[in-house]
Amino acid sequence: MLSYILRRIVATLPVMAIVALFVFSLLYIAPGDPAVVIAGDQASPEDVERIRQSLGLNRPFLVQFGSWVWRILHGDLGTSIFTNLPVSAMIGQRLGPTLSLMIVTLLLTIVVAVPLGVVAAWKAGSLIDRVIMGFAVFGFSLPVFVVGYMLAYVFALELEWLPVQGYTPLAQGFWPWLENLILPAIALGCVYIALVARITRAAMLEVLQQDYVRTAKAKGLGQGGILFIHALKNAAVPIVTVIGIGIALLIGGAVVTESVFAIPGLGRLTIDAILRRDYPVIQGIVLLFSFVYVLVNLMIDVVYTLVDPRIRY
Amino acid sequence: MSEDLLRIDDLHVAFSTRRGMVEAVRGVTLTVKAGEMLGLVGESGSGKSVTGFATTRLLDAAGRVTGGKILFRGQDVTKLRGDDLRQLQGAAMSMIFQNPRAALNPIRAIGLQIADAILTHKRISKEAARAEALDLLRAVQIRDPEQRMNAYPHELSGGMCQRVMIAIAISCNPALLIADEPTTGLDVTTQKVVMDLLADIAAARGMATILITHDLGLAARYCRRIAVMERGRIVEEASPGKLFSARQHAYTRRLVAASPTATSRIEDLVTEEERERYNAVLDKPRPVLPHGTPPLLEVRKLAKRFDQGSAAVADFSMTMAGGESVGLVGESGSGKSTTSRMICRLIDPSEGDIVFDGQSIGHVASRDFHRSPLRKDIQMVFQDPNESLNPRFTAFDCIAHPLMRLDGMRTGEALRQRVEECAQRVGLPLDLLPRFPHQLSGGQKARVGIARAIACRPRLLVLDEPTAALDVSVQAVVLQLLDRLRRENDIALLFVSHDLNVVRMLCDRTIVLRNGGIVEQGESRALFDNPKTDYTRKLVEAIPHIETGPTLAAAL
Repeated sequence: MLSYILRRIVATLPVMAIVALFVFSLLYIAPGDPAVVIAGDQASPEDVERIRQSLGLNRPFLVQFGSWVWRILHGDLGTSIFTNLPVSAMIGQRLGPTLSLMIVTLLLTIVVAVPLGVVAAWKAGSLIDRVIMGFAVFGFSLPVFVVGYMLAYVFALELEWLPVQGYTPLAQGFWPWLENLILPAIALGCVYIALVARITRAAMLEVLQQDYVRTAKAKGLGQGGILFIHALKNAAVPIVTVIGIGIALLIGGAVVTESVFAIPGLGRLTIDAILRRDYPVIQGIVLLFSFVYVLVNLMIDVVYTLVDPRIRY
Repeated sequence: MSEDLLRIDDLHVAFSTRRGMVEAVRGVTLTVKAGEMLGLVGESGSGKSVTGFATTRLLDAAGRVTGGKILFRGQDVTKLRGDDLRQLQGAAMSMIFQNPRAALNPIRAIGLQIADAILTHKRISKEAARAEALDLLRAVQIRDPEQRMNAYPHELSGGMCQRVMIAIAISCNPALLIADEPTTGLDVTTQKVVMDLLADIAAARGMATILITHDLGLAARYCRRIAVMERGRIVEEASPGKLFSARQHAYTRRLVAASPTATSRIEDLVTEEERERYNAVLDKPRPVLPHGTPPLLEVRKLAKRFDQGSAAVADFSMTMAGGESVGLVGESGSGKSTTSRMICRLIDPSEGDIVFDGQSIGHVASRDFHRSPLRKDIQMVFQDPNESLNPRFTAFDCIAHPLMRLDGMRTGEALRQRVEECAQRVGLPLDLLPRFPHQLSGGQKARVGIARAIACRPRLLVLDEPTAALDVSVQAVVLQLLDRLRRENDIALLFVSHDLNVVRMLCDRTIVLRNGGIVEQGESRALFDNPKTDYTRKLVEAIPHIETGPTLAAAL
């Protein structure tokens, strides 16, 4: 098992290298002289030249890339052009809120979507099934910011049950922390819940037709035992896959959600950095998200082997 | 009557389909007494399994009991709901299914799966249930039961999986066990072991058993009473002796006539569709090959090793003349399918050579063999006609495809004529050509598979269990068809099968394989009548026959 995980980590190295190359090239893919792009429209030629010198943009591409990678391997993501703070420190500051939002959304999704999908599959064709799948279509179709503003209006402004916006760190108490995350997590989770519920339903429908489910019934097992002990675990592989892929969705959605609910997270930092053309910060964030995504994929593969003894590692 | 354990009274079951309600069972009435074993025999679609599922209340959501009663210990099973029903299922009444591997949960250790059944019906601790599960594994004679408790179904053979199923079914000492085709798909020898075990357990525990099977011989061997079903009705019910000596109903007569026996010849099989055309070629003389004609196929010291494992096939040599039919028999794992696939050039041999018509083809990589001009000459008919036809290809496309790929025929009149000619040769009505596989019956699909294989006029047909998935009456038709094609066109047949009765009828010579090596070979009839090795004798003895006459009379 351990050697499998190690082998998988080694296998992700080339992926990370390609991601790094792509992230670094971002600056050069944008049309025009990078120094001019960074300096912005109002910059004087002297400013542009100063930026060019300080960032080493006059050196050949590969040399720049090499020294960039070398710095990253030493934990140095560079310095923000706008704030002059180290990028790693800026990301570190903003990591907490985003991570909180993503974890709460992930848990909410699993707790809501999987049982919904199971029930829909069990009662396939019935009214309950159609209502659940109708909600799923609804969840798919509504953009995050629409759901977000609607939730904020109803539950925060009108009913005043929950705060409108903002973020409280976990250190200041569990409920204050959670209170601020509930509405954003629902808004962000809508698409995700719809997706996972649909996949759970499809996977369960497939499994419920298998002979061993009939065997479980023949043994006299109750409905719960059949659905959750025998069927759900067999349907787990596609469900886990989609939950993993969905984390990429979450990253994209977090950028919008954080803007709507004024959460000082990485999403906000990303938008600010893009608006300010703060390339070192953009590169650092994209690299971090890619790394998280590769890590999630690795975790999914490990979960496969835990769920299904037939998958060899 | 109080002594009847189960009484099914005028049972009707219907399924809702896209084309409306279809009645699968139309007025079945039968009784089972405590401790007896009843055979329920019929071909696919006769409603025998549906009757079983209705009794254990395991019908699909689309199926519904539309009339009649199923009285189990005087209680109408069809009216039970919720907990009352679950107390019955798996406890007083249990079921064994066809295809044991699929019937077990693939990701749950078998010990747990047995314990599940025990814990559902008995209030005992998990440890006690586990101990009982272990005892059950011993009862069904699984070796190393302690270690097997933690095994998963994919780590066990088909026969072992069926033993585990039996262990689950008997875990709560049911009064009635329904076995639905319990040994279909298992080797003859495994079939015998599993059926003997089942019969012993049923006798020792006083369980009544309903054996649902398409195999008359199997039912005759184990049951005192057999009910024959056709199209949702029971057409005849009698003891095996009576059934075979003085069969009453026309359907039973047809069924018995189509079943191969130890002595039947291929021309004896009574079929309606093939009979005439078959008789027409029966008298055609075999062409006399001039002395010294090189064999059509020569296989020299063929071997196949899969990664790391020991040899699946080792040191296999054989020759075949044009128009000859050779049978390749053995249990599963004996290497017969591997050998046939190497000869067909679908997989590469590790060692040895294959010479076809004087040309060495053993060293052509299998993935390049489709470009060889000899690809046309060696064709294959696969085991399951349902699985081996592309569901999105019409029958016409299936037959036309090899012609387009291998004979360079494109669209147009010539292609259509060739396809129609092939269809006619295999007796496939031309109006079926535009149909898709799911619109064809099993026998028609088998004909499409054969038409596809003969489309390019091959000289060697390799057949991998071509009739294993077919009903006996359809099997009889297909066997006569194959023998007719061989006689008409001198196509050599390499016939891979575990059904020795079929091989004996169809093949001039037989090769017996075990663990990848040849155990015995020779002229078919002589080999089966006088087996020289214990292994062949064991295989021959394990075949259930429809025994009429003295053997059976003595047994009763």
